Amino acid sequence: MKLKDQFRFVRQNMKKNRTRVYMTILATAMGCAFLIVLASVGFGLQKSVVKEITERRIMTQIDVYGQETSENGGYRQLDGKDVQIFEEMSDVKAVTRRIMLQQEGKYSIGDYHQSAQTVVANFPSEISAGFELSEGSLAKDKTEVVVGYNFPLNLAVQGEQTEEMFDDKGQLKEEFRYNGKLIGETIHLTVRKLEEGKQIEKVFEVKVAGISKKPTKEWAEDRSVYISEELLKDIEEFTGTPKGIVLDSAEQVKPADLEASKNTFDDVKIYAENMEAVQGIVDSLKEKDYATYSVVNELKEVNLMFAIAKAGLIFIGTIAILIASIGIYNTMTMAVTERAPDIGIMKAIGANPRIIKKIFLLESSYIGLIGALIGTIVSYGISYAVNIVIPLIIKQAFGEETPPELIFSDIPLSLPIICIVICYGVTILSGLRPAQRATKVDVLRAMRREV
Amino acid sequence: MITINHLSHEFVVGKKGKQTFIPILKDISFEVEKGEIVTIVGRSGSGKSTLLNLVSGFIRPKEGEIWINGEKVSQMNESKFADFRIKNLGFIFQSFQLIPSMTAFQNVELPLILKGISEAARKKQTEEMLAKVGLLDYQDHYPGELSGGQQQRVSIARALIVNPPIILADEPTGSLDSETEEDLLKFIKELNTDLGITFLIITHDEKVAAIGHRTIELKDGRIKEGVLI
Repeated sequence: MKLKDQFRFVRQNMKKNRTRVYMTILATAMGCAFLIVLASVGFGLQKSVVKEITERRIMTQIDVYGQETSENGGYRQLDGKDVQIFEEMSDVKAVTRRIMLQQEGKYSIGDYHQSAQTVVANFPSEISAGFELSEGSLAKDKTEVVVGYNFPLNLAVQGEQTEEMFDDKGQLKEEFRYNGKLIGETIHLTVRKLEEGKQIEKVFEVKVAGISKKPTKEWAEDRSVYISEELLKDIEEFTGTPKGIVLDSAEQVKPADLEASKNTFDDVKIYAENMEAVQGIVDSLKEKDYATYSVVNELKEVNLMFAIAKAGLIFIGTIAILIASIGIYNTMTMAVTERAPDIGIMKAIGANPRIIKKIFLLESSYIGLIGALIGTIVSYGISYAVNIVIPLIIKQAFGEETPPELIFSDIPLSLPIICIVICYGVTILSGLRPAQRATKVDVLRAMRREV
Repeated sequence: MITINHLSHEFVVGKKGKQTFIPILKDISFEVEKGEIVTIVGRSGSGKSTLLNLVSGFIRPKEGEIWINGEKVSQMNESKFADFRIKNLGFIFQSFQLIPSMTAFQNVELPLILKGISEAARKKQTEEMLAKVGLLDYQDHYPGELSGGQQQRVSIARALIVNPPIILADEPTGSLDSETEEDLLKFIKELNTDLGITFLIITHDEKVAAIGHRTIELKDGRIKEGVLI
């Protein structure tokens, strides 16, 4: 018997008791919709959390904080030797290392002033890692600096700052901030030191050679000033401390600690060739006792937690489908009982029991699949409505605004597929026994209408 | 064509432990040659319907062998017998056994569907067969909308559609009036003469028994001596 004819039989049989079949399909659709919507909450929240994590970090970036020392279980700062080790590792694209000036650098251009973080960066590695300039060029000598794209944002005229000078985001309004050109302009960096309780300042004159590219993330700001290593040395010479540390009194800090911070980096980042390589690099760093952080590690943990939660939700949702399967079992059992005389006649004229079983299994899976498809369509609608309505309910009931990027319900393609597979499996199982009963219909009793 | 060797059968009555065995057929042996019409007669309870059901494979014998077309069907499993049945056997029942929710056309077409014949070929063959039994104009009628004679003709068309070499008939005229009965018997004779179809017919009607080349009479589950012609 051809499959096309089997389907025709199934459709004909289903038409014989439309109401019962519709109700069974409805129950299955409700079960499926329940499963999908329930699990979609897990998928939605996971998506929000993952988005939150990945948006703030670069996926191939590994932060290395230090190396565990064997003596006291503490960590030592990283130096050039560590960087060399990292650079020699396979799948490493770049290793950026930065030294931070250990005091707030005060910058001024004309009447405009602001404080900014002062950084000594290794530009070849920064460029390999993706650092770009929007204007100008890199610093050629110690008299030149590169400023961050957002450096002028807080460059304001010195004096009292009132509320009306700032906008809703707390940023200086355009009319109060420095609007002139920066490239080629001379800016003054003022550094300080304490000598016998007295503050002594020194001004270093530098020229702006370049401006970094606008950060790709909307929320990110780059207000740093990138100075040369030579300039840092001049500052260190002035302060008499490594990285320009300001010491209140010489006794507070051990000379050994000061010595230890010499020639070390304050911020070391490894950039992997691709996302897949991150885990391997992290593992080999761990073996060498380096303390690291990577988004991939965090994602792994978050994804594991959500995988467990989603499995639980899918399990609960499956119970709804199992309940619907009782309906399918009932419908199929009644169908076999009602059609027993027809089955008897078919067997009498030569229908193979295998074909009869297949027709009934086809019918139960047909009901299951139609139910699953309707359930899937409905669940997409519910999911859409949930994402609109729940924030409104939260706002009305608790007066709280939900973050705009928060997703309550998300249905990835895998979810309906999982649901349809579960539904198909369950309907096959629930149709199996009635189908088997159909093959065992006694021809003579069926033809005498005794079954 | 059909060989029955020492066939015995009994029915089991009662619950487990308190079962009673009622013998129905006792050591039956006979043969039906190709192109023959053999009628089996006997009183009610003589075992003639049981004999036909055993040959049809609807029930399995306790003892003995049944051979049809050179194949030992008494040992075949249900699935294999189903495939054998659709190729070799046609059935005519006393109560027609048409599927009430199917039209005359669909009832006749059913064996072809089970055989996996294409839709176009099925349509052609079914229409030809309905024309042959004079019911082409009634092809869209449901069994409930047809007379007894017409239903029996649909049943015959369904039996003939797969060109079986053997037709097994159980009281084929039992539900028909005398005029329709005569038409049907004439039709059976024609099928036998023109197409060489072998018939094994169960009946208690003398008129039906008379069309057979041979008649076997059963009495108390045995072939009555002296009547096997």
